[in-house]
Amino acid sequence: MFEPMFMRLALVASVATGLSLGVMGVYLVIRRVVFLGLVVANAATLGAAIAQAIGWTPELASLVAGVGAAVALGGVEASSRVSAESWMGWAYAGASSFTVLVLSWTAGGSADTLHLLFGNVLAVQGANLVALTIVAAVIGLLQLLFARRFLLVTFDPEAAKVVGVDTRLWSLTLNLAIGVAAATAVNAIGALSTFALLTLPAMAALLATTSVRATFVTAAALSTVLPSLALAISFYFDLPAGPASVALLALSVPFAAVCTPAVARAKTFVLMRAGRRQTTFNARCRGSASDLRRSECRQQQLRESFPRCERRPQA
Amino acid sequence: MHHLFPKRLAMSECVLRGDRLALGFGDRVLFRDLSFEVARGEILGIVGPNGCGKTTLLRTMLGLLEPLAGRVERQAGLRISYVPQRERIDRIIPVTAIEVVLMGAGATAPVLRRIGSTERDAAHRALELLGIDALGQKLFRTLSTGQQQRVLLARALATDPDLIVLDEPTVGMDVASEATIIEFLRDLNRRRRVTILIVTHLLPIVLNFASTIMLMGSRGILQGAVDDVLQEDRLTALYGVPVRLGVVAGQRTLVVERGMGLNV
Repeated sequence: MFEPMFMRLALVASVATGLSLGVMGVYLVIRRVVFLGLVVANAATLGAAIAQAIGWTPELASLVAGVGAAVALGGVEASSRVSAESWMGWAYAGASSFTVLVLSWTAGGSADTLHLLFGNVLAVQGANLVALTIVAAVIGLLQLLFARRFLLVTFDPEAAKVVGVDTRLWSLTLNLAIGVAAATAVNAIGALSTFALLTLPAMAALLATTSVRATFVTAAALSTVLPSLALAISFYFDLPAGPASVALLALSVPFAAVCTPAVARAKTFVLMRAGRRQTTFNARCRGSASDLRRSECRQQQLRESFPRCERRPQA
Repeated sequence: MHHLFPKRLAMSECVLRGDRLALGFGDRVLFRDLSFEVARGEILGIVGPNGCGKTTLLRTMLGLLEPLAGRVERQAGLRISYVPQRERIDRIIPVTAIEVVLMGAGATAPVLRRIGSTERDAAHRALELLGIDALGQKLFRTLSTGQQQRVLLARALATDPDLIVLDEPTVGMDVASEATIIEFLRDLNRRRRVTILIVTHLLPIVLNFASTIMLMGSRGILQGAVDDVLQEDRLTALYGVPVRLGVVAGQRTLVVERGMGLNV
């Protein structure tokens, strides 16, 4: 399946975009600014569309537009009249409509719109792949070195500022990283997949896990494994890779929402059963005179509980 | 600003000072020509009716809001810890209580330094001081109101502060939790001489806790000793209801006379 070179390149691109967007997406979701991901993806698309129309390099234009949007809108604070979310809605509507207008002005508008919306990971070329890999490595490094600071300014920015942390600098760094990751991904996988990778793995991870580290690891795992799986599915069933990837990511969210409580209930049930056995055992052993006796009693209890595990006497 | 006992402390005795401040947002000025001093080792209670500008003053004191005019001076090397209202803390992030406390210790450490045993020990000691060491591995969002407040206090303590600023620390707590927190803060102030600044709309909290009161109203601010500032006629005029002060079991109490319900 991954024999053809284009499939291998697509796999590397999927893993690279998945890693960078999956990790950055967790920050977007926990900061409650998922719209920022949508805006950045669409701003980068608009940049690419304009560049395509006037003959510039789409990758560079989308990077400038995506990073610009992330920095400008990431710093917008809610006023008493309009929320920050409303500004993001405004930016999204504007970027999307202008993208379609620009593309319909140029020849082959509808085909280009589809390409920019869903991308084509199977058509990723060398230079783009290198850029995606470098971005993934840089974001991985940022996460390794500065996750503590990123979490601090996300969890309680005011208390962080009071003790002397430059919250504006760290928020800007975070927004820059999100902008760069989204803008480089848009050219390979399209706006929809970029937005999906920024939000859905983080959502599923937050639903399924109960620790910060597990959330990041799960989000990164989902955002790399599911798009790779989607590549295989699209290869076998002749389906478009982008929508297949988004569909799998979308399914992961209700799966996490439904399965996590079920697993927790099952775990509680097993623990309660074990607890009941332990209580019975304690009640039986309460009268034991010594630890030795207690130990014997426990062995007896274990033998009764698990008769199949009883060791047969050797001949 | 009006001091009942005008004072101008030397900066060595004063941890925080505001000089001729104008506070507000944009064109809206809440206070003009406001000055204050927070003396080392004192417990200052900032009180006043809802909407009088307590939070604006607090945010300006902490450097979270720039004053429209004037300036706030901090003593050189002053370590401040801020315990915000619990509602301001995001509960989506699945952090444990010990991780929250470590955020306090980690915030003051160099960026690239990994959290080591020193910070972990400090965090555990802080949790232990507040009697919640056993909750260290519990998720912060699953803790009760009182427990969350204690974790936030432990986070503040982990930075070994000279000044702790608390914003409405006892809102939503039952009387037992409230008394425990207040007793802990009083002990902290007495033993370590940590300066405490507490902002609350609940007057009874500060009546027996604060050494100095800053009473905020629409016409200005009054700062002085508790008995001098909190007087029945003044509170009655400020709140618009007949307030009576008394003493029960050696503690100051405050009641509002009956029959003051709204006519509907």
